[in-house]
Amino acid sequence: MSRNSLPSKGMLIYFGVCTLAMVWPGALIANRIEPMILGLPFFIFWYVAWVFVLFIGLVIAYRQESGEEVDDE
Amino acid sequence: MSDSVIITGLTLGYLLLVLIVGLRANAGQSSSLEGYVAGGRHVGLLVLFFILGAEIFSAFAFLGAPGWAYGKGVPALYIIAYLTLAVIVWWLIAPYISRLGRRHGFLTQAEFLAACYPTRGNLLGLFIGIISVLAMIPYLTIQIAGAGMLFEAATSGIVPFWLGSLLACGVVAAYVYASGLHGIGWTNLLQGVMMVFIAWFLGLATADQFFGGVGEMFRQIQQEAPEYLTMPGAQGMGWGAFSTAILVSALGCVMWPHIFMKFYSARSERTLKRVFVLYPLYSYLLIPLLFVGFAGIVVLADQPLDSPDEVLLTLVVKMADFPAWLIGLALSGALAAAMSTAANLAHTSATILVRDIGQNLPIGRNLPEARVLKLTRGGVIVISLAAYLLALANPASLVSLLLGAYGIVVQLLPMLLGALFWRRASRAAAFIGLGVGAAVTLYYQFLGGSPFGWHPGFCGLIVNSALFVAVSFATKRQETRSPADALSPR
Repeated sequence: MSRNSLPSKGMLIYFGVCTLAMVWPGALIANRIEPMILGLPFFIFWYVAWVFVLFIGLVIAYRQESGEEVDDE
Repeated sequence: MSDSVIITGLTLGYLLLVLIVGLRANAGQSSSLEGYVAGGRHVGLLVLFFILGAEIFSAFAFLGAPGWAYGKGVPALYIIAYLTLAVIVWWLIAPYISRLGRRHGFLTQAEFLAACYPTRGNLLGLFIGIISVLAMIPYLTIQIAGAGMLFEAATSGIVPFWLGSLLACGVVAAYVYASGLHGIGWTNLLQGVMMVFIAWFLGLATADQFFGGVGEMFRQIQQEAPEYLTMPGAQGMGWGAFSTAILVSALGCVMWPHIFMKFYSARSERTLKRVFVLYPLYSYLLIPLLFVGFAGIVVLADQPLDSPDEVLLTLVVKMADFPAWLIGLALSGALAAAMSTAANLAHTSATILVRDIGQNLPIGRNLPEARVLKLTRGGVIVISLAAYLLALANPASLVSLLLGAYGIVVQLLPMLLGALFWRRASRAAAFIGLGVGAAVTLYYQFLGGSPFGWHPGFCGLIVNSALFVAVSFATKRQETRSPADALSPR
């Protein structure tokens, strides 16, 4: 099995940061109501935002891994 | 025309639409087992995205999730967190599973693990098969019972529980029987889109109706019940319980057989990765449904519900002044969530029943493929009927069976990771880890008292992994490749 599709070290760190942000202790710093953003209490906004951060990370990882390959779909 | 009749008519129309789409998906399909179970390993981006999306968001999304927000407050965010983090686990391992499945012809999770850790008489495969089915039938039953409950509540009893659950179960069984994964694919696409639109519409409309907007709603909760908006929530869920529930659910998500087996069906590894890139956005579906639960905190402050899971139904059907067509659509959306999950569970359970259990018994060996396909389709009907009868009987032990059996399934994760990535992974160590990890999980699950309030499955995984690693190192082993690599002819 080829290992060339393993994610880079940078990506693994990115994944780790996303994970820590959503559990203890990362989420501790977000545990408050103010400031409300987009009408959401800060703690809820925190989770909504990190979902998006992970999405961006996956887009980058996908582009990194697939390199300049031609689309197959 | 009375409101209940409009609601009933709309919902029945929706069920009919799903049935037609599901049955038509059969057209032009080859009748191979691989086609029926894994879509010929040729499912594309859009359909696979909605298969995974709609199968994960079950009746729980419309009933349990708002119930958590209503009863506990922000600890409900654990659901969004774990669904998002689960994608990381998929990203790291699913491409390997897809590749090995294609190379060795695996169709189930048990076949994969049993090949990496061979046992005499394939006992491991048989064991995994039985435990998986024991976990999935109660899960399926809960979807079917959820559908019946939704029907009865939204139509004010015109469609009673027994009939509502029968209708949902019958439609699902019919298209899964006829069209296999193709039927699931196209119906899940329809149901997935339906769920997203209805969830957002419902969440925003509820906040608007009672408070004049989402921001206003949270301002009012902040004034009247601020404890719901920060950890540990209204019922005091500690950080340990919250964090370990997220981690174990994210890690365990990949081990659900109906999710794991979808990795085999992808057209290519690139398709899989594209699905995963988009997947986190699907978890936004839950945000508006949590809004409905949060709305209930203030709206129902004077008359709290005995059963928090009814918060969405209570607000949307009884309290809000919504037109009948909107309630009908809401019901259809919630049914979509229950049925799309039920279809995958029935399909996967039937496959496991035949391939991992039946074919490992002396009577089932060496069956021709056409016969296996026939049995699998028959299995869909048998499993659906069993789940329907269980939903009617509603035994109290159902949830315990689900938690217990799924608790064991999650403990297969360390040996799966070992098989994929670790050349020292030893078979004996994997079994010792699995056995002790499962025992620890079941002990804390049913007797309570886990250390620091951690999730029982998390405690099991720690003990399991530690033993797996320690015993593997203690075992003499000269392999240069991981168990999964060793399968491949180089």
